[in-house]
Amino acid sequence: MGLRRFSILLICSLIFSAPLFAAEMDPDGILRFSLGGEVSVLNPILSTDTASSAVEGAIFTGLVKVNEKLEMVPDLAERWEVSKDGKIWTFYLRKNVKWHDGIIFTAEDVKFTFDSILNPKVNSVRRSDYIIDGKPIQFKVLNKYTVQAILPKPFAPFLIHAGMNIIPKHLLEGKDINTAEFNRKPVGTGPFIFKEWQSGDHVSVVRNQNYYFGKPLLAAINYKIIPDENSQLVALEAGEIDDSGIPPKDYTRMKSVKGIKVFEFDALVYTYLGFNLANPKFADKRVRQALAYATDKNQLVSLIFRGLASPAYAPSAPISWAYSDNVPKYPYNLEKAKKLLKEAKAENLEFTILVNQGNKDREKAAVILQQQYKKVGVKVNVRVMEWSALLKIINAPKDPKDFEAVIIGWSLGLDPDAYSIWHSSQYPKGFNFIKYKNPEVDKLLELGRTTMGKSARKKVYARLWKLIAEDQPYIFLWYPKAVEGVSERVGGLSKPGPAGLFLNIEKVFVRK
Amino acid sequence: MRKYLFRRLLQLIPLLIGVSLISFFVMHLAPGDPTALFIDPNVRPEELARVRANWGLDQPVYIQYFVWLKNAVLLDFGRSYTTGQPVISEVAERLPLTLLLMIPSFILTLLITIPVGVISAVRKNSWFDNGFTLFSFAGMAIPTFWLGLMLMLLFSVKLHWFPAVGNIILPLITMTIGSLAGLTRYQRAAMLEILNQDFIRTARAKGLPERIVIFKHALRNALIPIVTILGLSLPDLFGGAFIIETIFAWPGMGRLGVQSIFQRNYPMIMGIVMFSALLIIIGNLLADIGYALVDPRIRYEKK
Repeated sequence: MGLRRFSILLICSLIFSAPLFAAEMDPDGILRFSLGGEVSVLNPILSTDTASSAVEGAIFTGLVKVNEKLEMVPDLAERWEVSKDGKIWTFYLRKNVKWHDGIIFTAEDVKFTFDSILNPKVNSVRRSDYIIDGKPIQFKVLNKYTVQAILPKPFAPFLIHAGMNIIPKHLLEGKDINTAEFNRKPVGTGPFIFKEWQSGDHVSVVRNQNYYFGKPLLAAINYKIIPDENSQLVALEAGEIDDSGIPPKDYTRMKSVKGIKVFEFDALVYTYLGFNLANPKFADKRVRQALAYATDKNQLVSLIFRGLASPAYAPSAPISWAYSDNVPKYPYNLEKAKKLLKEAKAENLEFTILVNQGNKDREKAAVILQQQYKKVGVKVNVRVMEWSALLKIINAPKDPKDFEAVIIGWSLGLDPDAYSIWHSSQYPKGFNFIKYKNPEVDKLLELGRTTMGKSARKKVYARLWKLIAEDQPYIFLWYPKAVEGVSERVGGLSKPGPAGLFLNIEKVFVRK
Repeated sequence: MRKYLFRRLLQLIPLLIGVSLISFFVMHLAPGDPTALFIDPNVRPEELARVRANWGLDQPVYIQYFVWLKNAVLLDFGRSYTTGQPVISEVAERLPLTLLLMIPSFILTLLITIPVGVISAVRKNSWFDNGFTLFSFAGMAIPTFWLGLMLMLLFSVKLHWFPAVGNIILPLITMTIGSLAGLTRYQRAAMLEILNQDFIRTARAKGLPERIVIFKHALRNALIPIVTILGLSLPDLFGGAFIIETIFAWPGMGRLGVQSIFQRNYPMIMGIVMFSALLIIIGNLLADIGYALVDPRIRYEKK
């Protein structure tokens, strides 16, 4: 009796488990990604566009990589050490890693990659990441599996830059990297091997059986280039692709589409209204603070994003480890705004906000701010310009620059270092295009990049954000949320976050 | 005819040089430069200046033009800034795909326009004529991108007949509807005008069958303005291709062109402008030859 029950149970479990297992994972599964832009060049030291980086992420790997918590963890380097003075970083490499063409990966490849980036003839704009105070970082091969980076002075964000994808020396040495055939037929160390690239149409990669973190679960990935946002959504709905970004306007509709899961997560991005401090209209801090009081950020966020964004108060993002909420926030208050404007004798303030054409969120924001500031008697003109033309104005290496205010955004790196945005040396050449200058901020910015250790740096940045928010050189407007739709047949996604849903691409699979 | 062709082909040279000169300087007049795309708080301005110098953009524009012209004469159009690949090979990869879309659309348009225009004119104010008039006005009023998206929603999401992206059927339909709308109106008007002419009345008075009056006497004359319009609408096809290529993710040259303009990818823009100019000039030449075939009054040389 007992045996019989057992055998029935066994049969039942066999019947139910077999199809269940089959429904779980397709060993020949192909993931179909969509890319919004054209892939330009599949060489990580040259590419600057997100489409190319997305594909490179499957083909190449670096010494270290980022995890779901936005921490740097071992990748091609098994472990690393930093000298006490913070200047010498030693990386111990994983052994027996092979390039996709079968050649062994060594420390020589690492040195070659960073030396190529530093070569002025190579059109890599990443070069500045490896130059500290005008001096390049030196890379030294200690033995086949050990490589050292020697920094001219301590530089906390270095580990993130050490995550640059490594390119093979044996295929690129002595070649012109800018034009090499390699850039169209890349060879890497990553979970997927390059298969084919039809210009403007698609790139496909196939499983690397020998990947050092284990064989990927997907047999292949097909990256389909679909430049139009609406077409991407239609293709996702029609089941032709497995993943697409979703603009706020389509959020509610897409949530109700069957077979698609919608994810929302924070991004390391903020949008702001920046004032040209070289212009006498904005020289008085009280004027900027008054405008901050007159800004109804909640209204902006609800009108433009229908809740898919949150109001911003500091030049960092809430998901950054260095974020601090302890800053002056200037909550919406028209009385305070009027009072401050009166004190600063700026009751009849009139200025022009520049926004770039085609960015509907910013265009709407400019118009809403125009209405909001009208309530405190400030007249705002909005000028919509083409992106390149706008950049030309704010990047012009002259003092003062020809603008009054601009709505623009910063995409933040994983490291909180904000030297290039706020340090007074970064004007008129550089990204401190608003001519912000605060000696204490300068000092803290320098301290932030030379201090080692998260907790010590956290304190530096908390103070820094507080000082900058107090000055209000920008009115921080919002943090947009990223919204992504993924087909329900896809599994093995990572925790939603700024590092993306496909962080561990080797663990992603599709169901049959 | 041969002499005429030779003369027209010779005119190509100054024409192409003129096109290149104007486009090169207009392109450089537009604000912005190719490295503006790299804007990122971590990239220092001196790095951008270095890359610009590597591309030769630190030279005066007129010198850059002569360097370009010298190489272009030898059919070397340089390399794309974004991909590092030769412009020629990129255009060679994309142009056939644009033509694959344009030529069938062009032929389809002709095949539909002529009979529809003729029938509409002959049966003026019939239900057929009124129906197509409505269709034409709707076709002209509906923006291509909207029509494309609606077709995708209908045929891909609802009916699952064709894939939404990367398939030729839907872009072909969208493109053809766009050009049909205007052309059928022209064909109808041309035909109506001819049908009121004295020689048609004479033909009918002679007792010729209506079929011969319409297709032999009237249509041949009514085709003349259509040939002109077709020749002139070639550039529109290129422009229209961009929107259609973008919506249907069709990897043609139109998309490459517009993207290059946004990126200020100078060598790529010049390459595409030159190829398009060449195609348009050839298209117009074909239209001129077409005149001689349809219009007995036009002869390009004295015998």
